[in-house]
Amino acid sequence: MSARLHILKEALRTGVVTKKYPYEPVKVPEGFRGKPSIDVEKCIGCGACVNVCPPNALSAEIDLNKSVKRIILFLGKCIFCGRCQDACPTEAIKLTREFELSTLTTNDLYQVVELKMAKCEICGKPYATIRQVLFTAKSVPKDQRPLLLLCSECRSKVSAKYISYARW
Amino acid sequence: MSIKLFMKSLWVFHLNSGSCNGCDIEVLNVFTPYHDVERLGIKLVASPRHADVIVFTGPITRETLPKAIKAFTAIPEPKAVVAVGSCACGGGIWYDSYAVIGGIEAFYKILREEYKVKIPPTVYVPGCPPKPEAIIYGIAVLRGILRQKQRRTYFTEKEVPELTKDLIINIEKYMESKSRKEIYNGE
Repeated sequence: MSARLHILKEALRTGVVTKKYPYEPVKVPEGFRGKPSIDVEKCIGCGACVNVCPPNALSAEIDLNKSVKRIILFLGKCIFCGRCQDACPTEAIKLTREFELSTLTTNDLYQVVELKMAKCEICGKPYATIRQVLFTAKSVPKDQRPLLLLCSECRSKVSAKYISYARW
Repeated sequence: MSIKLFMKSLWVFHLNSGSCNGCDIEVLNVFTPYHDVERLGIKLVASPRHADVIVFTGPITRETLPKAIKAFTAIPEPKAVVAVGSCACGGGIWYDSYAVIGGIEAFYKILREEYKVKIPPTVYVPGCPPKPEAIIYGIAVLRGILRQKQRRTYFTEKEVPELTKDLIINIEKYMESKSRKEIYNGE
């Protein structure tokens, strides 16, 4: 009997510990790695996140007919490691503190960013997104910037020509 | 949609279908006094014949596939499925492994083609592993207590600047003259 009273005393002192979660919001700790989301205004479609993603939750797709590039984020594969956040040059993809991701279809787990691609001035092949060209132009010397308007194959041909002129 | 099927308590059968045990421990956490999901009438049962809901944790390996089919078909109608963890949702980190079927979607494909089974309402709880609150939220979505927040988003650019030599050479001036929204607009 005295043991029961002891338990009762202990229980009264502790109070109720159970959270009322579905009926009350819950606090998420600082630095919690939740749902990754792409800021569509900052994303340049370079694909750095696609290269580092271990489970290929992020994938890139180039549509040559429409000349668009799609960055596709599928949360059903994501392991919330945060490597995409470290690799992103423009800090567009970030892990938020959101954890309520449950859906009734897998279709709702996708985020797609579709960006238009620039076409090469010589061969007309789409080679990089327009945003990526604008982003890289800032860090290239002014006299070499017109080379950014060419695809990688044409660029190597043209720059090889420049180098041969310089030798003469 | 599924709330009408289950007006009473949900009895849950938990099946480890090749999980790394991370999600299993989170499922265990849900039943501790701290989260105490039994206040919502949810109870773990030992046999699939007593259950309403089956919880899959893991990407469904080739070894567990026959057992998963056996347990799935043993549950009486109406039933529901909870896929806990990224592995169960779409394969997770094992998406291209030879030993893995690749999530609930692929499992349903096998069931539909070879067993002609009706596919029950399914709730997907991504996370590696999901927080115990995230699992409770998944159950709440299944029962219709809370509304689903996550939606598919598709962004397309509306207008883009035309790339010319002048623009590329004087990019700094162009970037200063226009706000970020004017350069990158879309929906």
